[in-house]
Amino acid sequence: MSGKPNRDPRLDQAAVSDEGLLDIHERQLGRHPDDGARYRLLPIGILFTLSALILFSGTYLNRYTGHYNASIFDENAKPTAGGPAVAKLDPVAVGRSAYGGTCVTCHQPTGAGMPGIYPPLAGSEWVNGPSSRVIRIVLYGLKGDIHVKGQAFNAAAMPVFGKVTGSAYNWSDEKIAAVLTYVRQEWGNKADPVSADEVAAARNATGDRREMSEAELEQIK
Amino acid sequence: MKSNLIFFIGLFAALGISWAGIVLGSNAQLGSLAPFYDETDGATYPQWMSGSAAQGQLVYRDLGCYACHTQQVRRPGFGSDQQRGWGDRQSVARDYIYQPAPQLGWSRVGPDLANLADRKPSAPDSEDLLRMLYSGSAGMPPYRFLFVERRLGAGAQPSQAALKLTGSLEPKAGLEIVPTPRAEALVAYLLSLTTSYTYPEAVPFKPAKSEGAAAAPSSTAAPVRATPAPAAPAAAGTTPPAAPATGVSPAPASAKAAAAPTPSPTVTATPGSTGGAK
Amino acid sequence: MTTRGEYSPVDGASRWPLLLLLVKGIGWLVVAGILALVASIQLHTPGFMAGCPLLTYGRTVVLAETAFVYGWLGNAGLALALWALGRLAGEPLRAQNWAIGGAIFWNLAVFGALVGVALGDATGFELLGLPRYVQLMMFFSYSAVAVPGLLAWNGRLRRVSFASQWYAAAALFLFPWILSIAHVMLFAAPVHGVLQPIVAGWYAQSAWTLWLAPLALSVAYYVVPKVTGRVLPSYEFAALGFWCLIFIGGLTGGRHLLGGPVPAWIPSVAVVSCALLLFHTFIVILNLRGAFTGEGIAVKFIAFGLAAYAVGAVGDALTSLHGIATYTQFTHFDEAQRQLALYGAASTFLFGGIYYALPRITGKAWFSPGLVRAHLVLSICGILLLVGSLTVASVTQSQGILDSKVSFQEIAHNSRPWLMSATFAQTVLLLGNIALLANFYATACEILKISAPAAFNPPPAVETRAS
Repeated sequence: MSGKPNRDPRLDQAAVSDEGLLDIHERQLGRHPDDGARYRLLPIGILFTLSALILFSGTYLNRYTGHYNASIFDENAKPTAGGPAVAKLDPVAVGRSAYGGTCVTCHQPTGAGMPGIYPPLAGSEWVNGPSSRVIRIVLYGLKGDIHVKGQAFNAAAMPVFGKVTGSAYNWSDEKIAAVLTYVRQEWGNKADPVSADEVAAARNATGDRREMSEAELEQIK
Repeated sequence: MKSNLIFFIGLFAALGISWAGIVLGSNAQLGSLAPFYDETDGATYPQWMSGSAAQGQLVYRDLGCYACHTQQVRRPGFGSDQQRGWGDRQSVARDYIYQPAPQLGWSRVGPDLANLADRKPSAPDSEDLLRMLYSGSAGMPPYRFLFVERRLGAGAQPSQAALKLTGSLEPKAGLEIVPTPRAEALVAYLLSLTTSYTYPEAVPFKPAKSEGAAAAPSSTAAPVRATPAPAAPAAAGTTPPAAPATGVSPAPASAKAAAAPTPSPTVTATPGSTGGAK
Repeated sequence: MTTRGEYSPVDGASRWPLLLLLVKGIGWLVVAGILALVASIQLHTPGFMAGCPLLTYGRTVVLAETAFVYGWLGNAGLALALWALGRLAGEPLRAQNWAIGGAIFWNLAVFGALVGVALGDATGFELLGLPRYVQLMMFFSYSAVAVPGLLAWNGRLRRVSFASQWYAAAALFLFPWILSIAHVMLFAAPVHGVLQPIVAGWYAQSAWTLWLAPLALSVAYYVVPKVTGRVLPSYEFAALGFWCLIFIGGLTGGRHLLGGPVPAWIPSVAVVSCALLLFHTFIVILNLRGAFTGEGIAVKFIAFGLAAYAVGAVGDALTSLHGIATYTQFTHFDEAQRQLALYGAASTFLFGGIYYALPRITGKAWFSPGLVRAHLVLSICGILLLVGSLTVASVTQSQGILDSKVSFQEIAHNSRPWLMSATFAQTVLLLGNIALLANFYATACEILKISAPAAFNPPPAVETRAS
């Protein structure tokens, strides 16, 4: 121990030289813990603490890392079974956005169309009728006249939307099914939803062709 | 510590391990993250920022806005981010791939800005933001140096870009306050911040057991593909091609962004907060 | 070696680089204190100096942090690391011109960084706000200053080394690597998107655990046994504690990305690493607990720093858990933790080292006992008040944030009194540091020649007493 107490704040006295410091610690390292057959608790305490921390770490890593998956951002996820809780697509929602992006320009947001130019969809017998016909209207487009609620419309052609020759849109079957489902339940229409399988079946049955006419459509059941 | 070489090798190895693990590991996972193509919309998300928005991000960083604002929405259940209308879902890595300098921030003296352009109940418009920048508030300093005071000619009307200020902030007669290009770039940037598109990985995970069958009602309304496997190109190949979500029923909500606070905060919080590791 | 007296030939021969670094360090400490005071005022009174674009709050925060970390901690830490390595090597420092040149350019770089940040070139990353154009100068100047230290480590007279030397050598060796990796990955060939905050987080945590903490610990490990004269208890585990810090430190990189837009494993690995670092803290307390009963100003500073280090490590580990982080993340509590670590632990260790080392470097005792005691009291009170105020402010803030009906204006209003108390604490700390600066100048410049040369008691040649 140092001779004088360190009471003067202007100078802290050293109690051991550098040589001494290195010596005593080197000797400390050379000692064995059970010198004199005394059992020291500290190494056991340290071992216990380290083991407990490693156990905690391992458990935490197993539980909260999402198996190191790059797509898991929520640490509570347990992706061992199932997958991302991706919901079923709500066809009405998809159909509404598809309608609002494309169809609304002609058929109007109210589904009323334009008298003499674009046929209405609200209350239309084509929309509410057999799905096989309206599917083909969207898939292949129309040529010539079409009569809706007693009125004739022929001034503008219905474009080709399906994945067929001459289509500028190439909508998938799911998208066509969605927009038809939407239209068939909107503005007072009450008809069954259309599934993507039906659209695919219609496309396969009719094959690849250009626009259909009203007469051809009426042949289809 | 007798051998110098072993000592320095040990130091270097330690640094290398943490660098390889965290930096290289995350680079391997996220380095080639691609935008997500949505077939229904026919567009990829996220979308590029406009030029003035990219400049605005530099102004944001230059002024140090990150000192008070974060740009990261946390998952439902982790704080009140959803209830405050800051965003419906957790921010994910894909939200930032087209940002030259993502400003995640570390402090919320002010609100989170990740989804400012689509904030509920109402998003601010450029006039609101410019006014806020000029006047400051109880927690935010005024940024008067982002504006110039211009003298109006005799009998001239204020220009279109001039701020409409009232009360004590109103400039004297014959003067108008006009934002500088920096202010306009900053506002363009703030209005480009959106995280409203829901990527497949952004949706809360369905737990393996049925403990949280109702755990993801907030996911149902978003335009997300129904088949997880083909629609998740960036899911590091480990997403099992299991059946599409089974116990999740399509919600009647139809809007692109679900507005109602869902029960998910309590459900997802439960497994987390009662776990032994807390 | 100091076999007689305590005036080692190392101190006299290495005077100039050490004094240069120390005077710069303490100068930057006062500058950082003023900037931190401005930032603290702006937090509760946003209109303060808001008209000056150079001092807008977003820039003042970065200015204060840069001056504090790179100006004060960098300079003082380097000085004391070189000093400890030199003394324990038993020879005067070699290649001192490298240290002097490096010190000059390091401080030029810090000044350039502050000018750059004030003009808006801050990078936006935590602890790496330095503009990119000063980073290379910092890398080279730091490496130059590190050369004498690493030469002293390599050329030490005794093969078995002491814990203080390990920590100092690690800090001198690792920081240039950390800085250069961050520079390349963030500025030279930037990574994209959210990888930037990940690399920046790795840098910030590595800078604390692998650079600043080792600099501070090397001082503590040297001063405590020197003053108390006893062998460090449980010293045989000190190596375990050292390697635990070195290996685990960088893995805490994702600590501040909890719940963030990164894959969940990154913050989870950080949580686990913060818990494992508790083991390192445990070993450090076991070793240095003699400081709590020691006498003398240096040991008192170190005792307080040790308590702060322990509390900080426990707080870090606890608040990294998600349940608690819901309340503390993004609040003033993060700032309180940062102050506790950087100021409460690292700075007080360095203060203790400065109070012990300067008389030996200059050959003169400190000029004024009153200023020394004042600095001790003001530092301890200031840190306690600062951390306490910020913690209470964070409680009100988190209560407000978690309730979605409370607007941020109300939150600002509610936390205002606590932030004003934090400003008061910053003032107290600044006064203490001004006392240190005044005392330092008076001592080092030999302004008043009244005080006699330091009367060193010759310590015993070899201490044989066990712990």
